[in-house]
Amino acid sequence: MTRLADRAKLEDLRGRLVSAFDADKRRLFVCMGTGCRACGGDEVLDGLEGALKGAGLDEQVEVVKTGCRGFCENGALVTAQPSGTLYCRVGRDDVDDIVAKTVARGEVVEHLVYRAPAGIGVPSGPVVPREKDIPFYRHQQRIVLGMNDRIDPTRIEDYIREGGYAGLAKALFDMEPEGIIDEVSRSGLRGRGGGGFPTGRKWMFCRAAEGDAKYVICNADEGDPGAFMDRSLLEGNPHAVLEGMAIGARAIGARQGYIYIRAEYPLAIERLRIAIEQMRACGLLGDNILGSDFSFDIVIKEGAGAFVCGEETALIASIEGSRGMPTSRPPFPAVKGLYGKPTNINNVETWGNVPHIVNRGAEVYAALGTEDSKGTKIFSLVGQVNNTGLVEVPMGMTLRQLVYEVGGGIKNGRQFKAVQSGGPSGGCLPVEMMHLPIDYESLADAGAIMGSGGLVVMDETTCMVDLARYFVTFTQNESCGKCVPCRLGTQQMRMILDDICEGHGTEESITQLERLGESVRMGSLCGLGQTAPNPVLTTIKYFRDEYLAHVREKRCPAGVCEKLFVATCSNRCPSDVDIPAYLSLIAEGRAEEALRSHMDRNPLPSVCARVCPHPCEMRCRRETMDRPVAIRAVKRFMVDAVDRVEVSVETRPEEERRRVAVIGAGPAGLTAAFYLRRLGHEVTVYEAMPEAGGMLRYGIPSYRLPREELERDIARITDVGVNIVYDTAIGKQLSLSRLRKQYDAVFLGSGAWADATMGVPGEKGAGVASGIEFLKLVEIGQMERLAGNVVIVGGGNTAMDAARTALRLGASSVTVVYRRTREEMPVEPDEVTEALEEGVKFEFLVAPVEILRDRRKSLSGIRLQRMRLGEFDSGGRRRPIPIEDGFVEIPAAHVIRAIGQNPILPRGGPPVSNRGRIVVDQFTLATETEGVFSGGDAVLGPATAIEAIAHGRRAAEAIERYLCPDRAARFPWNAPRTLDTAFDPSAPPANTPRREAPKLDPAMRRNNFVEVELTLSPEQARLEAGRCLRCDFGKLLVSRDEV
Amino acid sequence: MPNLTINGRAVRVAAGKTILDACRAAEIYVPTLCDDPQLKPYGACRLCLVRVDGMRGLPSACTTPAEEGMAVTTDDDEILEVRQWTTRLLLADHPLDCLTCEQCGVCQLQEVVEYIGVRDRVLRPMTRSAKVDMSNACFSVDMEKCILCGLCVRACDEIQNLGAIDLVRRGFDSAVEPFGGGPIMGSICESCGECVERCPTGALAPRRYLKPEREVSSVCPYCGTGCRIMLGARGDTLVSARGDADSPVSRGRLCVKGRFGSFEFVTHPDRITAPLIRQGEDFREASWEEALALVVERLKGYRGAVFGGLSSAKVCNEDNYVFQKFVRAVMGTNNIDHCARLCHSSTVAGLRQSFGSGAMTNPADDLLDAEVILVTGSNTTENHPIIGLKIREAVARGAKLILFDPRRIQLSEIATLWARQWPGTDVAWINGLLHVIIRDGLMNTEFVQSRTEGFEAVEHVVAAYTPERVAEITGVAAETIAEAARLYATAERAAIVYSMGITQHVTGTDNVRSLANLALITGHIGKPGTGVNPLRGQSNVQGSCDMGALPNFYPGYQQVGDDAVRAKFEQAWGTPLSPNDGLTVTEMLPAILDGKVKALYIMGENPVLSDADISHVEEALGQLEFLVVQDIFLTETARFADVVLPASSYAERDGTYTNTERRVQLTSPVVRPPGQTRRDWEIICEISTALGYPMAYASSAEIMDEMRALTPFYAGISHARLEAGEQIHWPCLSDEHPGTPILHREKFSRGLGQFHPAEFIPADEQTDADFPIVLTTGRVLEHYHTGTMTRRSQGLDGLVPGPFVEVNDGDARKLRLRDGDRVRVSSRRGSIVLPARVGRRVDTGVLFIPFHFWEAAANVLTNPATDPTSKIPEFKVCAVRMERARN
Repeated sequence: MTRLADRAKLEDLRGRLVSAFDADKRRLFVCMGTGCRACGGDEVLDGLEGALKGAGLDEQVEVVKTGCRGFCENGALVTAQPSGTLYCRVGRDDVDDIVAKTVARGEVVEHLVYRAPAGIGVPSGPVVPREKDIPFYRHQQRIVLGMNDRIDPTRIEDYIREGGYAGLAKALFDMEPEGIIDEVSRSGLRGRGGGGFPTGRKWMFCRAAEGDAKYVICNADEGDPGAFMDRSLLEGNPHAVLEGMAIGARAIGARQGYIYIRAEYPLAIERLRIAIEQMRACGLLGDNILGSDFSFDIVIKEGAGAFVCGEETALIASIEGSRGMPTSRPPFPAVKGLYGKPTNINNVETWGNVPHIVNRGAEVYAALGTEDSKGTKIFSLVGQVNNTGLVEVPMGMTLRQLVYEVGGGIKNGRQFKAVQSGGPSGGCLPVEMMHLPIDYESLADAGAIMGSGGLVVMDETTCMVDLARYFVTFTQNESCGKCVPCRLGTQQMRMILDDICEGHGTEESITQLERLGESVRMGSLCGLGQTAPNPVLTTIKYFRDEYLAHVREKRCPAGVCEKLFVATCSNRCPSDVDIPAYLSLIAEGRAEEALRSHMDRNPLPSVCARVCPHPCEMRCRRETMDRPVAIRAVKRFMVDAVDRVEVSVETRPEEERRRVAVIGAGPAGLTAAFYLRRLGHEVTVYEAMPEAGGMLRYGIPSYRLPREELERDIARITDVGVNIVYDTAIGKQLSLSRLRKQYDAVFLGSGAWADATMGVPGEKGAGVASGIEFLKLVEIGQMERLAGNVVIVGGGNTAMDAARTALRLGASSVTVVYRRTREEMPVEPDEVTEALEEGVKFEFLVAPVEILRDRRKSLSGIRLQRMRLGEFDSGGRRRPIPIEDGFVEIPAAHVIRAIGQNPILPRGGPPVSNRGRIVVDQFTLATETEGVFSGGDAVLGPATAIEAIAHGRRAAEAIERYLCPDRAARFPWNAPRTLDTAFDPSAPPANTPRREAPKLDPAMRRNNFVEVELTLSPEQARLEAGRCLRCDFGKLLVSRDEV
Repeated sequence: MPNLTINGRAVRVAAGKTILDACRAAEIYVPTLCDDPQLKPYGACRLCLVRVDGMRGLPSACTTPAEEGMAVTTDDDEILEVRQWTTRLLLADHPLDCLTCEQCGVCQLQEVVEYIGVRDRVLRPMTRSAKVDMSNACFSVDMEKCILCGLCVRACDEIQNLGAIDLVRRGFDSAVEPFGGGPIMGSICESCGECVERCPTGALAPRRYLKPEREVSSVCPYCGTGCRIMLGARGDTLVSARGDADSPVSRGRLCVKGRFGSFEFVTHPDRITAPLIRQGEDFREASWEEALALVVERLKGYRGAVFGGLSSAKVCNEDNYVFQKFVRAVMGTNNIDHCARLCHSSTVAGLRQSFGSGAMTNPADDLLDAEVILVTGSNTTENHPIIGLKIREAVARGAKLILFDPRRIQLSEIATLWARQWPGTDVAWINGLLHVIIRDGLMNTEFVQSRTEGFEAVEHVVAAYTPERVAEITGVAAETIAEAARLYATAERAAIVYSMGITQHVTGTDNVRSLANLALITGHIGKPGTGVNPLRGQSNVQGSCDMGALPNFYPGYQQVGDDAVRAKFEQAWGTPLSPNDGLTVTEMLPAILDGKVKALYIMGENPVLSDADISHVEEALGQLEFLVVQDIFLTETARFADVVLPASSYAERDGTYTNTERRVQLTSPVVRPPGQTRRDWEIICEISTALGYPMAYASSAEIMDEMRALTPFYAGISHARLEAGEQIHWPCLSDEHPGTPILHREKFSRGLGQFHPAEFIPADEQTDADFPIVLTTGRVLEHYHTGTMTRRSQGLDGLVPGPFVEVNDGDARKLRLRDGDRVRVSSRRGSIVLPARVGRRVDTGVLFIPFHFWEAAANVLTNPATDPTSKIPEFKVCAVRMERARN
């Protein structure tokens, strides 16, 4: 490399490099970032070079080693140019394919191409060969990382060819130091390390400070867990950072620069060393750079990787050779910094932005971003998101776009829960904050911070209390120990969080966390301590319910805090059924004991064995081995195997016995009655319909839930002495006020029977019915046949039940119309599959606009507007947007709308929410009316049976506490479990594959109401139950009675 | 001078002060646990948070500079809330054993908790279990009580410049530990207690301490630095000691002896509180009347040259003046000397010849201004610890340190250049430096020409001392010699510091004069930051010399042989005086054996341990016809006495002390003298009066007045001026004279500086096959002189409980010695048995033994050969052999 004596020599060199570069030449760009190298990038590189040589193509095809491309999840990455095809997860074995197909013949190697993630019921998404079309890249705007995909970071020539050091030359020869600072100020660049202080202003302070020597420092002490922005930039384009530092030094008047980098970044250090040597050799570093009067040099200082050294004053102490401990400011480093001299510290990314700003001008840069936050920001997007990696997006993009568009949404189709921005110093933002634009102020106002760019996405399996504990443990371990609030406050917060996670917390613990957190924030010396409470405070602010569940119910909804649940499956069960217990009993052939255990949590096992959406199976840890245990199928075997079971009923002394009225014999009411009765109270259930079961009977078709099975469950409840009074409806034969006088407590479980209307012309009149109404008519025998075309509107369970029932009643065709796509349908995927098998047709992305009627007003069809999917909504589903002039008409004799149900509430009843649902305390289910409790669909809106059952038991416990406040609450079903089944923790897990319950052949079932799902054989059931990994083994739980 | 308002009040503070300083100036209490005015702002406890209009959050008052126009609020609800939680956190991390805690009642945490008003313990205790470290005999370390305010770490770093302890680990596990962990005694800790002094809780607590009723400032009874101590008393018992922050000498700093060992011995049960008269092998207590009558009766028979008096470097100027007057005027002899003979007589002789005055040329604080400090023969950080601190501070600020010392001492660790010369070769290396300075043209020709004489003779002699030749003699590499010469000569300001490693040789006077040559040839004298600075060893050794406790000088170095001078004293004292120089202490002992001296009066000296060749000393004392010993303990020497008279200790009397930098300091009594003990000068006065020479002084101030009337360079130094707080260095020629911190500014005391050539002469005793090892002796940090006082301090005696010999690990290996094994060390004069301390402090072929310990007295071995001029014995070199001892 020759020394560039002046600016002209630099431009000469650039000119030569550009003209020598053939853009159309075939090139393979192999990512050599840490991530891709960890995925075997080195072998791929060697393999490609070897294979090209072998094929005699090494002359025509160039292999370029590049820096990090950000899509680390899919490493090792190889891009073929000029076609722009990106190959993901390339291994050594794929090399020959790439050379043989892509290089030699210009074809795409299908199996290496990016494939969009699978959705619900969609096994795999579309294939996207070209890098720039991949959603992950399409929404990014890569300014700082821009060159990473086309330069070899170890070759200064590549950087110069792409325009490198033009900014430095401009700063040296065309600009005065004040001009440079002015340019940076006008660009609106703010500190990318997290503080967001205006960079130009910071430089100005340092320039204005008096001192015989000044320093610039690049802070590369990246320490947030999961963050690797700085590392990737330094690995991928070290020259951009170095050039930025040189420009800054010229502006400030520094002759010496330091890069403080953690020693755990060996590759970044190596690349920096190479780059610095190359700069020196070219005369871009050292005395009289490019022949100017500006001299500048850079030293690399390796740090031991202390998080606190991200703090400027601690970093300076560390460079000076002292313990990395911060000092109070003022004095600021700009006045008194390294070795007592004026010092300017910027983060890697901030420096990386500088050449671009100087080169292209402040205006170009400031055109990107928001009013107060300009340019782009690099994030490391990690966690439960489909596309993890390094992304650079313009400021102002919403969190939702970042998570769903760039990030591709949540993994495994789970629910988004929160995003942690800014690492341990940042905060956790919930779904309600997803609309926030990414800018310094918005995030700070929400209690989080931009931080250096760590962005961790979390789904429902993350416990926010545990998360807060994780981060506070991190800051505690990284606290330098100097100041009291940080050293002891984080420890105390951690202890309180430990308490909560282990079931020893109280509501006072939460208050203490808030007050202590606020004091630590106010009292700490440096940024580490001042921000350490953020994760705690934001999780309490946005996820207080989850904290309350921990302290009031000793329950961890996410199934993370080990001491608070038996196993993740049962924890996921709304009613907390002890699944490992009944599985292990079934595996030993002890079905009756299994059923008795089940009855302690859920008195409707037959029902749940058939209609439960079994969320438990989604949290079965067996999934990590092969597939989840077929829990519901085993339960089905259990209820089929045992008819009756003895359950205990407490005999209470007269003075402690109370009278309770239950309104509604649906799952919530029956369950509440069952458990209240078991406690020894007198319980009367009032049911409006002639038979018990509520929505189970009148809303679920018998091919899914045979009526004799429902009867069996109800019989077990009436067997313990629950009295049911039929044909007695609240508001008609009964009044709530009278019941309140006659009984000591009332449970209102009246369900959600009112349906939502579509609100389109022609809806009123014959031929249009609600799904619930339709199913009820069928159940009571008032509708036995149905002819003609039937259109069902909706995408939920009721829609599917109605469609399949209509088919069974003889409809000539049944079409389900839904305004989004199959992926967004709330119904169980299995149901759709079964419906399709039986011949139900689907029309997606259509919404009804009119019910068509002929002149005689009889129904002739439905007019639908075509829709497309737009922005993501807060639930992570895309919003349907009407396509103008896109209409379609479907002929129909019947239209059944199944788009939602609402409670019908008695007059004089407890207050309701604006959504029409009864307002209750979420833990006690007490309404605002004294002595009246409520649960099930009346509170939740249309929900699942198991949720209603859970409410029933919760209400029973709360009513007991309400009725007998002086009696220590002891619930027999909450007694510590004694499980004497054999389990050998050292034995390997059973090796049998998952066994689903068989189903009737579609041809056999579409014309009748015979139960579709069949049962396992005893042997199969035992084997299936034996697949349970017994996550519960050896666990001692905190008693939930000690609330 | 920024003006600001605090809580609405206008406050004005000096520029560069913090808000906390301003609050203190305005007497507004702001709680803090980590601030110390002597240390840099730290900001760790977060209790001094205040609100400043226009500033974000709650800045800490201790770190935020006070600026013009600031409006500060020190208390409001939010501040209180944060302070309360911070305090709760501290309490949750603190044991609750307040009533049994050493710090109870003086605990600053208690004080702060009380002010902030936390009365609950809502937070769960954070358990941090730590074992109490009792390894240090002076203080305990209990990390459970530590609040990590960092005061100890910062004191050790910023004040002690040592860094023996530091913060380790992170987060809740943060702790204060010595390097590598382990007990504090295994570290480089010097037990100075600066940390203990500052610890706000009981984490660092003195092992022996009671809260005093009253405190009085005194002067430390140990080395010649003259640090002032606030002695604390309850009734007549001394219970505490701490540095006197107002003292310009020590600025509140103390070493381990001053802080932990300065008060306990005063009320030690071993104190003799009544006169003792010999009864066979033992003593019996007697009344003053009986004892004095006996003394007077016997002394009558020994007037003239058969009498000898040994004065003391530990008693006041007034005592010394009266004692020498007694010997000269009453006993009619100049046979008066004291242990200065054994430490710096060669300095007094040498520097007098070179400069005209035998004392430190510059004050100790001047070292802070030096660019280069040349230290030789002084283990400063152990023997003059507070001056050692000044050297360390100077080095920390960027001064270069040249060290010539045969031992690897603490200063070796921070020296720019450390040369390990072979013991007894000092003239050679100094000549080598002079050689290089002349050869390389580094001398200050202008200074030599205008201010000195006799240069040519030196030039002639040192011509032969090429670095190469010097290297052969001294074992110091030629380049090192040249480099040292360059460093010293080319500095703008360079100071020489030396002590007994230079003086205690048969060539002691040559050594001293050679160092003076170095200063003369470079002109590094007579200016701030320069000079030739002998560090004197005892609290008043400078004063006892000044007072004429010397055989050839009246007070103020006025020659006994000078007729005019003698006439002045004869007139003043009203009696004829002997015109002949008396005997030195090293001459008196042979004279006793020769029968020339028959009676001896020893005041506060312990020659049985301190003089060379102890068996010889013991033999001499045994031959005396009459021996009076006046002391505070029954010393090894007192055991030979016929009469022992109980004296008062330093804390029980008033008087003046002259420290090594010629600064005269006045003390007042702290407690009443115990039992029948009396002040030294009072005892002498009574004897004198009884012997027919009435001496009666109403006070020690009156003695001072008589003395200064006869002593020109003390003429202006009165108790009254000192009481008023004046800091006076002699010469001080009149009541108006401000004193003279720096000597020889315009001209030398003798006029021109005199060069003295010296040829290298080997030590008196050379090693041979029988005695192949060189022994050198000295002191340790924790003990003082013959241990009379320090070994009666449980703390100090606990730190170094007994004798030891330092052995090079290479030599140890040859004898298969492990650390702690007992060895027998023998010289031609005797042998002692003591444990070996194996390491690298001494070179191969060299042993070092501290002379404090009677159990294995180093001076059993030492060579009594003396320097011909000053009669100082060669303590620093003798030939010995070492062998394993049977247990």
